[in-house]
Amino acid sequence: MSALIEFDAVCKYYQMGDTTVKAADHITMKIEKGEFVAIVGQSGSGKSTCMNIIGCLDVPTHGTYRLNGRDVGKMNRNELAAIRNEMLGFIFQQYNLLPKLNLMENVEVPLVYAGISRADRHVRAREVLEQVGLGDKLKNRPNQLSGGQQQRVSIARALVRNPPVILADEPTGALDSHTGREVLGLLQQLHKQGHTVVLITHDNSIAVQADRIIRLEDGQVVYDGDSHAPEAMVQPTLLPETPEKEEQA
Amino acid sequence: MIFETFRQAIQNVWSNKLRTFLTMLGIIIGVMAVIVIVGLGNGMTKSMRDSFSALGTNTLSIQVWGYGSRTVPVEEMYDICQRHSNLIKAVSPQVNFGGNASGTLKIGTTSYRWSNISGVDENFTEMKNYQIVQGRGLQYMDMQDNKQVCVIGDYLNRVAFGGNGVGQTLKIGANKFRVVGVLSAKVSDPTMQQGSDDDCVYLPYTTVIRLSSQSMVDCYTAMMADESLANEAKTTMEEELMSILKSENGYYVYSASEWLEEMNKMINMVIVILTGIASISLLVGGIGIMNIMLVSVTERTREIGIRKALGAKERTILAQFVVEAATTSALGGVLGIALGYVMSMVANRVLPMFMTDTTVTVSPSFNSIVVAFGISVGIGVLFGYLPARRAARLNPIEALRYD
Repeated sequence: MSALIEFDAVCKYYQMGDTTVKAADHITMKIEKGEFVAIVGQSGSGKSTCMNIIGCLDVPTHGTYRLNGRDVGKMNRNELAAIRNEMLGFIFQQYNLLPKLNLMENVEVPLVYAGISRADRHVRAREVLEQVGLGDKLKNRPNQLSGGQQQRVSIARALVRNPPVILADEPTGALDSHTGREVLGLLQQLHKQGHTVVLITHDNSIAVQADRIIRLEDGQVVYDGDSHAPEAMVQPTLLPETPEKEEQA
Repeated sequence: MIFETFRQAIQNVWSNKLRTFLTMLGIIIGVMAVIVIVGLGNGMTKSMRDSFSALGTNTLSIQVWGYGSRTVPVEEMYDICQRHSNLIKAVSPQVNFGGNASGTLKIGTTSYRWSNISGVDENFTEMKNYQIVQGRGLQYMDMQDNKQVCVIGDYLNRVAFGGNGVGQTLKIGANKFRVVGVLSAKVSDPTMQQGSDDDCVYLPYTTVIRLSSQSMVDCYTAMMADESLANEAKTTMEEELMSILKSENGYYVYSASEWLEEMNKMINMVIVILTGIASISLLVGGIGIMNIMLVSVTERTREIGIRKALGAKERTILAQFVVEAATTSALGGVLGIALGYVMSMVANRVLPMFMTDTTVTVSPSFNSIVVAFGISVGIGVLFGYLPARRAARLNPIEALRYD
C-alpha cells in the first residue's frame, strides 16, 4: 500500500534567461492518509511550488509525484482538472470565493464540475455550510461576511466533495490571530475526522499546530519530522550552508 | 451542466447591462439592416411580379416575320395551338397600327396617349379574362368584313364616354371606329387605371392589317395552359415555328414569366450585394464582441483560476465564455429583429410620401428572421471562441495569482 502523497525526487526547474531556477530540487517525501502535515519555509524556499505540485496545478519537470498511487506527471490538463476536483480541497490565503455568487453557489461550484444534480448539490452544500457554522447565511454574498467567515466558506467548499486531501495555503495569512486560531481549530477538527490536511505556511507558530513539519529551503527538504522536536524550529538563517549532495535522496 | 453554463452566462450578461448593450449595438444595427433590406427586396420582387402579371405572366408573345418566301398564316398558328393544347390554351393575333394608319387615339377633342390599341381576333378578350359588360364583343363576322368597330376598356368608357361608350365613335389617326362593347375592369383602384389593362381599344385584326397595309399578321399573343410550364410552352412554340420557317431569324417568342425571372434574378443580386454591405456591420459587431470578451477574460482571470483549481476542465471554461458571447449576440439579434420590424413599418409609412408612383412595401420574411437570428448566434460563437480559448488555456497558477 503506497502513501497518499508520494514525492520521489521531485524537481521543478524554470529557465530564466541563461540561469536555471530550481524551485524544487529533488524533494522526496511521503504523506500518509490521515496525517496533519505543515510544509514550512521562507518565501522562495519552494513551498508554493511544492503546494502547486501537490495540488495538481503544476507537474514536476523531473521525478515522480504519485497521488493515491497515480502518477500525476503523466496526466494531461483535463485529467489534472478531474483529479483536482475529486482528490483535493483547496483553502487559499485570499479565500478566493467568487464574488457574484452567494455562499451556496460558491460551495456548489466543485459539485457542478463533478456533474452532480442540482437537488443533490443543494443538500450537500447546505450540509457543509452548516458544518462550518454558516447555515444561516446561505444566500449571502461573500463580501457581506467577515474574513474569518469567508475563510470558513472556503473550507466548506474544500470539503464539499469530501476529498482525501485538504490543501491549505497560508489559511490564516489574511486573518487576525483570534480568527486565525478559529480556522486552525477547524482544520484540526477535520484532521480528527480523518481528513489528510496539508498546511503550507511560513509561520512557525502556525506550523506547530500540525503533527509533522516538513521544512523547505532553496527547494530542498531540510527537516522532516515531529513538529514538537526542537530541530523543527531551527531558524533557517542559523542553519549552516548545506552541501547539495547531502540532501539528494 | 449545460443549464448551469447558460444560467451563469445570463447572470454575467445581466450584471453588466450597459456594457452588454453597447457591445450588442453592432449586432443590433447589422441585423436590423439585413431585415429591412431583405424586406425591401421582397417588396420590390412582389411589386415587380404584380406589374408583370398585369402584362400576363401566363402569356407568350410571338413575333413572326417570316423568312424568305416562307410565312406562317393565322390558320397555321391556330393549328399549332390546337396540337399543343396541353401547353397552350389559346392564341390570338395582336397587331398594332403601322405606317400611315398609326396615330393617337382621340375621343372628342381629347388625346389618350397611354392607351393600348391592338388588332385581335374574336377570342382574345375571353382569353385575357375580360367580360363584356356593355354591348357585344368582337365577332368572327367583324374579322371577315374588316369592320371598323372596337371594344374598349373600363377606363376609356368611364373617363371618355362617361360610362356610355356603346354606339359612340372614337378616332385613331385618321380612321373612325364605332364602339360596340365595353370590357369589365381589371384594376380595382380607379386612380391606377391609366395605361393599365383597362385603358385599351381592341379592334378586329383584319381591319388593322388592311388599314395599315400590312401583308400578314406578325404578332400573336398566346395563353399558356399552365404557368409553371412556361419554358416548355415557349420551347414548343419555337420548335414549331422553326420547322415551318427553317430559320431562327424568322420568329421570336417572348415569355413574360421568363422576363420576370430575369428581373427577379437581378433584384436578388442587388439584395445580396446590399445584404453583404449590411453584413459588414454584423462583422464589426462580432469584432466588438470579441473585444469585450477579451476584456472580460482579463478581468476575470482570477475567477478562471479559481474555477480551474476547483476542477473546471478546459472545455468547461471554453463553453462558459462561448455561451456568454453567443448569449450576448443572440440577445442583440433579437433586439435587431424587433427594431428591423419597427423600421419596416416606419418605412412603409414614409416611403409612399416620397415615391408616390410605386407600390413597394417592406415586408420582412420569416426566413430572413430565422437566418438573422442564426447568424447573430453564429457570430457570437465565432468571435467568442478566440477569447474563450484564451480563457480556457490560462495557467491556473498564474491565474490564481492575478490581481
